[in-house]
Amino acid sequence: MDDAVSAVDGVVGRECGTCGTVAGPADRFCEHCGADLPTDGRATSSGVAVPADPAPPEGPDTATAPMLAPARRQPPRPPCRECGGAVDSDGYCTQCGAKAPSERDHFAVAPAPGVAAVSDRGLRHHRNEDAAAVLADGAGRAALVVCDGVSTSVSSDVASLAAARAAADVLGTGSVGLAEGSARIAALGVRVTQAAAAAAAAVAAATPDDDAESPPSCTFVAAAVQDPVVVVGVVGDSRAYWLPDVGEPLLLTIDDSVAGQQIAAGRPRAEAEAGPQAHAITRWLGVDSPDQTPRLTPLEVDGPGWLLLCSDGLWNYCSEPAALGEVAAGALGGAGGDPLTAASALVDWANDQGGHDNITVVLARLGGATGATGTTGMASVAGTASAEGTDQR
Amino acid sequence: MTEFSAAVYQNEYLAGGSTDVHAIVTVECRGAGQAGQTSAGDAGEIVIVDTSASMGWPGVRAAQAAAAAALDQVIDGTWFSLIAGTHQARLVFPFDGGPMGMAQMSPQTRSLARQAIGYLAPDGGTAMGTWLELAARVVQSVPSVTQAHAILLTDGKNQHETPAELDQRMARAAGHIQVDCRGVGSSWEVGELRRIAQTLMGSVDLIPRPDQMAAEFATLMRQAMSRGVASADLRVWVPQGAQVLFVRQVAPSVEDLSARRREVNALTGAYPTGSWGDESRDYHVAVRLPASRAVGQEQLAARVQLAVGDQVVTQGLVKALWSDDSSLTARINPEVAHYTGQTELAEAIQDGLAARAAGDDRTATAKLGRAAQLAAETGNEEVTSKLRKVVDIEEPATGKVRLRKNVDKLDEMALDTTSTKTSRVRK
Repeated sequence: MDDAVSAVDGVVGRECGTCGTVAGPADRFCEHCGADLPTDGRATSSGVAVPADPAPPEGPDTATAPMLAPARRQPPRPPCRECGGAVDSDGYCTQCGAKAPSERDHFAVAPAPGVAAVSDRGLRHHRNEDAAAVLADGAGRAALVVCDGVSTSVSSDVASLAAARAAADVLGTGSVGLAEGSARIAALGVRVTQAAAAAAAAVAAATPDDDAESPPSCTFVAAAVQDPVVVVGVVGDSRAYWLPDVGEPLLLTIDDSVAGQQIAAGRPRAEAEAGPQAHAITRWLGVDSPDQTPRLTPLEVDGPGWLLLCSDGLWNYCSEPAALGEVAAGALGGAGGDPLTAASALVDWANDQGGHDNITVVLARLGGATGATGTTGMASVAGTASAEGTDQR
Repeated sequence: MTEFSAAVYQNEYLAGGSTDVHAIVTVECRGAGQAGQTSAGDAGEIVIVDTSASMGWPGVRAAQAAAAAALDQVIDGTWFSLIAGTHQARLVFPFDGGPMGMAQMSPQTRSLARQAIGYLAPDGGTAMGTWLELAARVVQSVPSVTQAHAILLTDGKNQHETPAELDQRMARAAGHIQVDCRGVGSSWEVGELRRIAQTLMGSVDLIPRPDQMAAEFATLMRQAMSRGVASADLRVWVPQGAQVLFVRQVAPSVEDLSARRREVNALTGAYPTGSWGDESRDYHVAVRLPASRAVGQEQLAARVQLAVGDQVVTQGLVKALWSDDSSLTARINPEVAHYTGQTELAEAIQDGLAARAAGDDRTATAKLGRAAQLAAETGNEEVTSKLRKVVDIEEPATGKVRLRKNVDKLDEMALDTTSTKTSRVRK
């Protein structure tokens, strides 16, 4: 949590070379214009050195060492998403002229086999206020976070990204050791609660002093995964679903929204979600939020399946677990089980439905990893494949 | 060091369903240097003077003075020649009969050329196509000349070749030489000379009296010598499936470049723009995109570039951004509006004068009335003052005019030649 705060406090004098907007120390692209930023992150014009990465652990203090260290590298400019043509240095496709999205507007990551996240601006919004951060070690442990910025505030895109990163950093730190069963659930639950607090602190730190009217705010859904155990925590209306290979899809979260409260009270979902103000959220992360404690849902899976986290940009088009399960099954089937391809397909599907909101999808394969239980000590995760939320593939 | 820059003026916001994008692209050149000094290859200058019988001795003497004034402006080392035009073309200088149809300027050749000018005499008819054909041949006889320019002077109509012959001969000259055309007196035809100037990427203008020729020639030659960039192409890239509606130069004068298109690749066309000095030119590019995108989506509608040889030296991006905010999409960009008006103004004047010449006073009144209205709206004072000599403008705002009786032919021609000269946007 302190890490998250100091990282945001470190927003001093590192400027975008294109438009001059001050950037955060860990930012790899400009929040304002989308231009790439230099990745070393150490030089600041004010002379205060701000490390881009947490200092590497020294000695055996494994309790605070990052379990899943974010990888940082400069990706090559990917081909045009619409026609596959080369993208010119001016930021537009050389064939169809489509504007290549900035990294903030569209990013896709796959930190380990079986885990992927894709976030997209959608078609109607001018920027992507969704954020995702995922870490995974490929051995059954993963930290998954989705935050959806509330668009009534000016800098919700900054706040949501800071929140997701801070939460993932907390989720990726430390070990639950040999704890199993309910003890493991309890340990992971504590982690999710701490992650939400770190995310809330990051949102607060991203709040301008003079913005009392509409401070930045965002939703929060996070999963601490130590296969086969998952603890999901939620504030707001971003969701988590469990999609078992065999059996009925399951919605793991209750929306903190007017509709969510009505559904919890027994009103049919379709009816409640069609009502006026149905989508108004009742809880969120932000300095004006009275309650930022995540509602926790534990799950111990008994067979293979997919854990899916998403923002309402996806579930608005397929709210019922069965409906979402069907769409996701189609995407996963078409992708041959590759989560990055499937998540991209789900984002494309939501855009085909109208793309009225930002869309974020996180997929993680559970219930199939070997060696998921027992002694996943720190030594075994050193040098694992991992990636940070803005790492574009 | 020559530097080019480009700026784009447009309203990039399109309403849902719209696909047509208009933009004004201003290209500016700085540090062009002198002709033949900065680019690879040499500069060549040709002075073509009409010595037909209609010029008479006073006309020929004025032409001699004008040719001499022009040659005085040619920088030493520049290739040059002098052509006398009648119903056929004659190389007056160099006259040594050698394989080179041009000589390099030096104190000696300048003095020899002056002597040759002294032998010009009025005789014969007018066939301008032959003059241009010879000029192009002369240029091609000196392989090192990569930037050729001519000043063509005439006092009359093209009477000794058919329009088709003129077209053929012009086509043979096109691409080899740029020609600024000047008509002296009132017996020549503006439309005819304008056609030559447009084909050969030059200007057209009126010299009312013979004694004004020398000053005009000196000015033209000074301008030509200050064009250090031998030639440049405007390149327009549009997305796959898009259509270029037109590419038009709109300042300093209106020239439709669309027909000059040469394909660079499937998506890019090149439009020759001739040589450049330190100057700024505006282009109106209109593109029809293959499809409208969803509201909130953005795409590139055109890359407008200036290329010197194969080198792209500057680029402007024309964008399309679909929006459902009508306060954004309904706005017409002031530069686009201004130059659309200026283009219509040129057409209205030319149509109006043509109708008047054909005796169709109703059409002439309507067209010239529209011209008066547009000239007032776009603040083109030069056109307004010249219009006033042809029509009485009663209400500029509504375009109510009355044709004047006994209009001086020179005033009518001055209005015609001014029609394509545009005023800049008041910024």
